[in-house]
Formats: sequence, structure tokens, C-alpha cells
Amino acid sequence: MLSRDEWLPLARKLDWDYSYVREDEVFPEVISGHPWLPHSEWKDWEESFKTSYREYVDNQYEKDMAVYAVRDAVGRLENVQKLAAPWMNSLKVHAAALPLAEFTGVIGNLRGTRFGRDSAWRTMATFGALDEFRHTQIPLLLFHQLVQWDSQFDWAHKFYHTNNWFAVAARHFFDELTLGQNAIEFHIATNFVLETGFTNLQFVGLASLARESNDHMFERMVTSIQTDEARHAQIGHPVLETVMKHDPKYVQYLVDKWFWRNWRLFSILTGLSIDYLTALDQRPYSFKEFMEEWIIDQFLSSLDEFGLKKPWYWDTVMDELEIYHHMIYASAYTYRATLWFNFVIPSPAERKWLRQKYPKHWDEMDAVWEQVSERWRTVGPGAANEMAVHGTAMPTFCDLCQLPLSAGTPRKNTARVLARDGQKYIFCSEPCQWIFLQEPERYANHKDIVKRVLSGEAPAELPKLLTEYFRLTPDTWGKDAYSGNYDWLRTRDSSAA
Amino acid sequence: MPIPLYGFMQGDTVGLLILAEEDDAIQTLAGKLQDAASIRVARIDRVQVVYNDKSIDPALTVAQAGFEALDRFDVISDEQK
Repeated sequence: MLSRDEWLPLARKLDWDYSYVREDEVFPEVISGHPWLPHSEWKDWEESFKTSYREYVDNQYEKDMAVYAVRDAVGRLENVQKLAAPWMNSLKVHAAALPLAEFTGVIGNLRGTRFGRDSAWRTMATFGALDEFRHTQIPLLLFHQLVQWDSQFDWAHKFYHTNNWFAVAARHFFDELTLGQNAIEFHIATNFVLETGFTNLQFVGLASLARESNDHMFERMVTSIQTDEARHAQIGHPVLETVMKHDPKYVQYLVDKWFWRNWRLFSILTGLSIDYLTALDQRPYSFKEFMEEWIIDQFLSSLDEFGLKKPWYWDTVMDELEIYHHMIYASAYTYRATLWFNFVIPSPAERKWLRQKYPKHWDEMDAVWEQVSERWRTVGPGAANEMAVHGTAMPTFCDLCQLPLSAGTPRKNTARVLARDGQKYIFCSEPCQWIFLQEPERYANHKDIVKRVLSGEAPAELPKLLTEYFRLTPDTWGKDAYSGNYDWLRTRDSSAA
Repeated sequence: MPIPLYGFMQGDTVGLLILAEEDDAIQTLAGKLQDAASIRVARIDRVQVVYNDKSIDPALTVAQAGFEALDRFDVISDEQK
């Protein structure tokens, strides 16, 4: 009988020479990815987590049991109900954004399972697909019990099936990253850029926030997911290494494109959670500090390891680290009815903290919060006054990332209009325009929310847009978590920041 | 037929869709954007409209200034140009 070490390479390396069909027919470039190379170039494909199916199942079983044990101990409805209101809304954001995005990861990995160029890659991608199934099912299971108590949690299932503006943006991202992607680009973009770069942000950072917020269920869930991510993220490295030998420019392009696209989405998901939706005394760090420690240094060192350069727009990312998610949060607060979770206004103490953490532009943001606070003061607190402290004009969206045109600073928004082939496009930033222009045929026909409204595809009136197109209801659409009823608002000194 | 424009109010955190009429004076256009952004930006008394990197005469109309659908314009404080 073979020992494990003898059996494993035998079971993982199962390639053979084709006799009645060409290799490029078995692995067409359009779906296996660029550059197309003969298998001889891929045969040494290797990753560090060598595991057998039996070992995989045993490990996953134990991890699932650990999650269930924590759920039974501290993850019941009554435990969740004790969480602070801001954090509860961070949970709602992730309940919606996470599970079905993970499901698209199943599809992407299955493409690697079939069209990856070496059998060890295909074996690993099979485990990756199973991992992503698990990451879909666990949050759906855990959040389902909360629907009976708060229907905003129903968006765990509903979110990606709506035309809510944030769902449109998230679908635009995941459709390209995972659902419709060839195997090479999928594994470089997902495993190397997203999982090596940003998964730490999502899962390590969120686990730490959840712990500080006494949400041990969510902490356990994301920690458990992260252990899978750390393993299957390793698929990206040998794929990238092989492509680097043949087309390093292409790898640099993929890294530049996908770092930006990830940055756009995750700076919102995580930036809002850390700096606004975690109670002040439970924030272990600012979003910027976390990015600097966990993402920036680590990602730059990964790039260096593979002989890659920093993305050309790196200075823009560093500038945006100071301001982008603040611009988005203030915009979203004033259009909160267009989303499925509730918001809070940063208190004077929080604004003081934000000023310390983000000194460069906070004066400009503070003026916005002062204006919003003044509106609440004028109309008075109460659910009946929600829409009096809400935007009425249509906000605008980027034709690449599909997110609001909220880049730059309040003083100077960086949106730019491009005329091309008789059409006008608008982008929030130079990198979004650059990505569009690299593959215009991929992106040009996608309509952002504004263009859907102008073409009559989506209703122009806000109530109809919310209910008929975004599929929100008065019960589920976002509100101020305290209906504007803040102690500090009753005094004139809310600008103590 | 209204002309949809992307309006950016200085001090604001998001661009807004503004429906302009061809015969709207530039001053009126500025007022429309100020109103639309007023939830986040306090009203500024003296403003100017910037279009294609140039300050536009407030007495001109939207048509005279050459605005076309889905163009960008900015409303900025007169003191900060």
C-alpha cells in the first residue's frame, strides 16, 4: 500500500497526452485563458497545501462543527438582539453582500476545475469550489434565523436578485471576476489579488471588529471562512508565476485592473463597517490604519516577490484612503432609503476621532455632517421626518464600477466624461476610465442606474424607483437608526469636533 | 425637452443628475444644483458655474453656453475660483 506521500502526487497529477483531439480544443484559450501554452509549460504547477479529499472532508467537518457549536452557544436571536445598532447594520451589509458573492466563487472555481491547465490546479480548484459552497451556506444559515425578527436580513438572499444600485455594482464586479471569467484571469484576480490582497481586510479585520463588538458568532464565521481562503488563495501563485514567464505585461495589467476594482468595492464594505458602523469604543483601529498594516504592506511585498510593480495609480489609492469611504458614507446616509440597512450620523465624539485619524480632508467632511445635523435640528427627530432629511435629486453613478460619483474630495470631485462612438460615459476616477478603455467592448453596453432611468428602463420617481426597481419596501429601506433622535443634536454644539 | 446634466456642487460628496431646460439661465442652473445638494452643502451666496474648465457668464442660457446631454458642470464658490 502506498504511503500518503507516495499516493498524493499520483492522485493529484493525472494529466495525459491527447490522441484524438488537440490540446487547444480541450482547453480553448477563450475559456482557459491567456496566454495559451502547451501543457509542458504547466506540468510543474505546484501549490503548498497538498491535501487529499478525505483530509479535506475531515477538516471541513471539524470546522463546521466548531461554527455550529458557537452558534448554539452565543449565536441565538437573543444574543444578536443585544448587539449595538450600528454593528447590527454592518451585519446586514455583509449578510447581503457575502453569501451569493461566494456562490459566484463556486462557479469561478469550477471553471478552474475543468479548464485549469494542470490536473493539480484542477484538483485544488475543486476544493476551492467546495469551500465557496460552504461560504455561501454558512452565512445563509446563520442569518436566516434573523429574518423573522428583522426583514432587512432577508436581503441575504434577495440582494443580488434586485436592481438595487449597490447590487448592480456588486454584480458588475462579480459577473466579471467570477461568473464570466476564464480560468487564468479568474485565479489571478480572485486568488492572488482578492484573496491574498483583500480577504485579510474582509475576514481578519471583520473578525477583529466582531470580537470587539461582542459578536462572537460573526467572528467565528469569518475566521472559519478565512482558513479556507488562506488555502485556496494558493492556487493563484503558481498560475501567476507561469504566466509571468511568458507575458509579464499581461499579469501587470490584470493586477492593476483587479486591485482597483477590489479597492472600490471593499473600501466601501469594510471602510463603512470600521469607521461608522462599529461603536466608537469598540473600534480597534481606523480603516486607514488597518489598510496600511494589513493590505498595503503585505500586498506590496507580494508584488515584489513576483517581480511586479505597484499599480500605476498607487498614489490615487493612497489619496483615496483618506477620503473615499467618507464621501460614500455621507452620500449614502443622505440616500439611505435606497439601501437595505440603517445608518447613524457620526456623533461629535466620533467626528473628533475621525478628524484625528483622517486629518487631511476632515474639515470638508465635517461641514457636510454639520449640514445634515442642522437639517435634523430644523425638522425635529422622528420617523415621520426621515424623508425631510434625505436627498431628492437623482445621484449619479460611474460607468465602470457602477458606484456613486463620489471620488476625489468635496472640494474637487474627480468624475470625468468620455465621449466615444457617439455615446457619453462618465467615470468616477482615472483608473475606472482606464479599465474601461482597455476593454471597451466588454463594458460599453452596460447601463448605469442613471442611464436606465433616462431610457425609461427604470422609473424616475424616487418612490417607484425604490419599490419597483430596487425592490425595497417602507419596512426594509434604510433609515436613520435613531430617527434623528440624538442627545447631542439637541444642543447647538454638535460641531465640537 | 430637458437636458440631463451631471452637476457637481463644490463641498458635496456625490454628483447629481440635474435636468436643465435649454432656456434656463446659467444662474438658474446653479440654483437647481444648489437646491439639489442642500441636504449636504450649505447654500453659498456667490457662486459661478464652471463648464469645460471655464467660468460661464451667468446671464447666458444653457443652450447659449453649449451644454449637451450628459455633460459635466460644477458650481463653485465665487471666492475659490
